[in-house]
Amino acid sequence: MVGVGARSGAARLFGVLQGLCRETWGCQARGVATRASTRVLPFIPTQDPDVIRKVPHDFRVVYPEFLPNPVPEWRNRLREKIERKDMLARRSNMPIPEFYIGSIMAVTVADPNAAGKTNRFVGICIQRGDSGLRAWFSLRNVIDHQGLEIKYEMYSPLVQNIEVLRLEKRLDDELLYLRDALPIYSTFPSDMETEILQEGAPVPVNPIKVQLKPRPWHERWERKNLQGVRDLGLPERFYKKAKLHEKPWEKYDLMKEYRATIPEEEQADIFREISSHYPLLESTRRRGKRKRVLPSLS
Amino acid sequence: MNQAEIRKLIPAVRVVINAKHRRFSNPKGPEGRLMMMRKTVTELVKLERVELNYQRGDEARGYAERLIASAIKNGDCHIPTMEMANYWLNEKQLVHKLFKVLAVRYRDSTESYTKLHKAPNKYPGFFREKAVLELKGNPFPPLEPNNSSRNWIHNILLEEAHQEYIKKKLKEEETDN
Repeated sequence: MVGVGARSGAARLFGVLQGLCRETWGCQARGVATRASTRVLPFIPTQDPDVIRKVPHDFRVVYPEFLPNPVPEWRNRLREKIERKDMLARRSNMPIPEFYIGSIMAVTVADPNAAGKTNRFVGICIQRGDSGLRAWFSLRNVIDHQGLEIKYEMYSPLVQNIEVLRLEKRLDDELLYLRDALPIYSTFPSDMETEILQEGAPVPVNPIKVQLKPRPWHERWERKNLQGVRDLGLPERFYKKAKLHEKPWEKYDLMKEYRATIPEEEQADIFREISSHYPLLESTRRRGKRKRVLPSLS
Repeated sequence: MNQAEIRKLIPAVRVVINAKHRRFSNPKGPEGRLMMMRKTVTELVKLERVELNYQRGDEARGYAERLIASAIKNGDCHIPTMEMANYWLNEKQLVHKLFKVLAVRYRDSTESYTKLHKAPNKYPGFFREKAVLELKGNPFPPLEPNNSSRNWIHNILLEEAHQEYIKKKLKEEETDN
C-alpha cells in the first residue's frame, strides 16, 4: 500500500513537473520551429557587364525547363548549373524544337521490341512539366478507338527525334480535358505532314472549343475555368457548387505568386549564363522553321 | 507542374522571407489571413511605423515590399498594379500616397524599402516576440541608437592629440631642413 501511495505521489509530482516543463518546452519548441523553417535570402544578381549579352525576350517562354523549380527546399544552385550544362550538351546532339501545349508532335524513341528498333508516336501535347533534366511532356492520340497517352522525358537518351508537325497554342494551360472530350478532338493520323508556318510569324493560338462527353468525367471540369470547352450543359447545382469552391482572393496573394516564380534578376542571370549557347539554340529554332517553310517552296 | 510560373516577371524581393507562408489561424480561412495582412500593410503605408507581433510583421513585410516594388516598376497607369493597390490598401487616399510618395521615395533605392526591428516584450505577459515594422526614410526619430564612438570624449581627445603630434613632427622636419 505504501509503495502504491508513494508511486502515486511520485506520479503526481511527475505530472506537475511535466506540466511545468511542457509549458516551457512548448515555448521553446515554438521558437525552434519558427527558427527551423527555411528562410530565403534575398537574391543578389551578378554585376559583370562583360557577361551581359542580349537575352532574346521570349526565351523563358520557349525554354521554360531552363528555369529551376522555385520550391526553396529543393533548390541547389550547383546542381541546377550542372543540369543546364548537360541539357545544352544533349541539345547539341539532338535538337529539341520549340513547342507549346496544343502543338502536334511526333517523337521517335528507341524500343528494343519494335520492328525497326524504334517507335514513332504522333499526338497532341496535353501537358508539360518539371524542370532541368527531368523535364517531360505528354502526347495524346486516339488509335483504333483507343485513347493513348505517352509521357516522354525530353532529355532521355532513349528519345531519338522530336518533331513538331503543327506549331500552335491552345486557350488553356493543360489539355487534360481531352480525355473526356469526343475522340475526334484528339485523333491525329500517324502519317501527318509537317505544316507550314511563315518565318518570323508569331505562334498562332487555336481558338477551338471542344465538346465534352456527358458525365461521369475524370475531373470536375466545371470548376477549372476552362476556356477551350463548349457549354458543359450541367444542371444549375453543379455551377453553384463550383462557385463555392472558387478562390477569388488568390490572385491578390502577392507572396504566393512570388513563391511560384523565379525572380526577374535570377532569370536574367540564368539566361546570361547560357548566353554562349544562344547560337546553338537559335539555329535549332531556325532549322525547325526552315523545315516548315520548305514544302511551300517545292 | 513543378515548373516555374513564367507568365509574370517579378522583381526579386530584397528581404529575407520564409520559404513557406505562415498559416495564421483565422475563422475566415485563407481569405481571412489575407485580409489580416491587408490590415497591417494599410497601417504600415499610413503610419510608416507600426508595432506588432514578430511573426505577423515578418509576413506582412513581404507583401508591403512587393506592393511598393510593383508600384515603382509599373507606375499608376498599369491596370493590374492599380487593382492590386486597390485591394491591399483599405483607405483609398493611401493609393495616391503609394504612387506619388513612396514610389518616388524609393525609385533609386538599391536596398529594401522596409525595416523590421525586434522589440522587447513586457514581463509578465504573453511571450510573443514583438517587432517594429517601418518604412525606410520615415520622418520619425531613429529607433536604433547611434553606435558610433566618434563623439566620445576620449576619442575626441585622442584625435586632437594625434593632430598635434603630426603638426609637431612637420615642424621638426622643417627646422631640420
